[in-house]
Amino acid sequence: MATYKVLSDNFAGKNAGDTVTDEDLEGANIEALIEGGHLSTTNNNKKETE
Amino acid sequence: MAIFVLKNASVTINSVDLSAYVTSVTLDYKIDAVESTAMGSGGHVYTGGLQANSVTVNLNQDFAATKTEATIFPLVGTSTTVVVKADSGAVSTTNPSYTISNSYLEGSQPVAGSVGDLAAMALTFNGGTLVKATT
Repeated sequence: MATYKVLSDNFAGKNAGDTVTDEDLEGANIEALIEGGHLSTTNNNKKETE
Repeated sequence: MAIFVLKNASVTINSVDLSAYVTSVTLDYKIDAVESTAMGSGGHVYTGGLQANSVTVNLNQDFAATKTEATIFPLVGTSTTVVVKADSGAVSTTNPSYTISNSYLEGSQPVAGSVGDLAAMALTFNGGTLVKATT
């Protein structure tokens, strides 16, 4: 499941700094939200240890 | 609820609340009339077909980050969800929300107006499926 950080202050029902998932964004155009500066992708990859 | 004057309608486009920029909004909820007239009918007979909705929104323009232009420009040529309420308050039987999913935005006008005008843009979202909620 992808997660995104809310960057803007006019994202419906969320505050800047909140995290949303792609399930929360069902029906929304996520690429447009990223391009518009409302969301940023979060890095979910855990650092691998040897 | 009595009759009222629109003063604080709520318009959310692609999960972004742009209400503070909206100067007018019209939600046109339609269902196609599919003719089913047959022999013996005394007049045209119709049955309900597909929804044929549209939402027309006029907004004041703002080129600042995350505001109107930055939000709308990437949506042109794509489909998204638009939510409209007559008032920004909580959803209720007297303030229903109308959610139009998969509504297509064909174009926008990043720059429009005459000298002396307030910069604005008019958007029309076409198609999609409307669902009304009262809770």
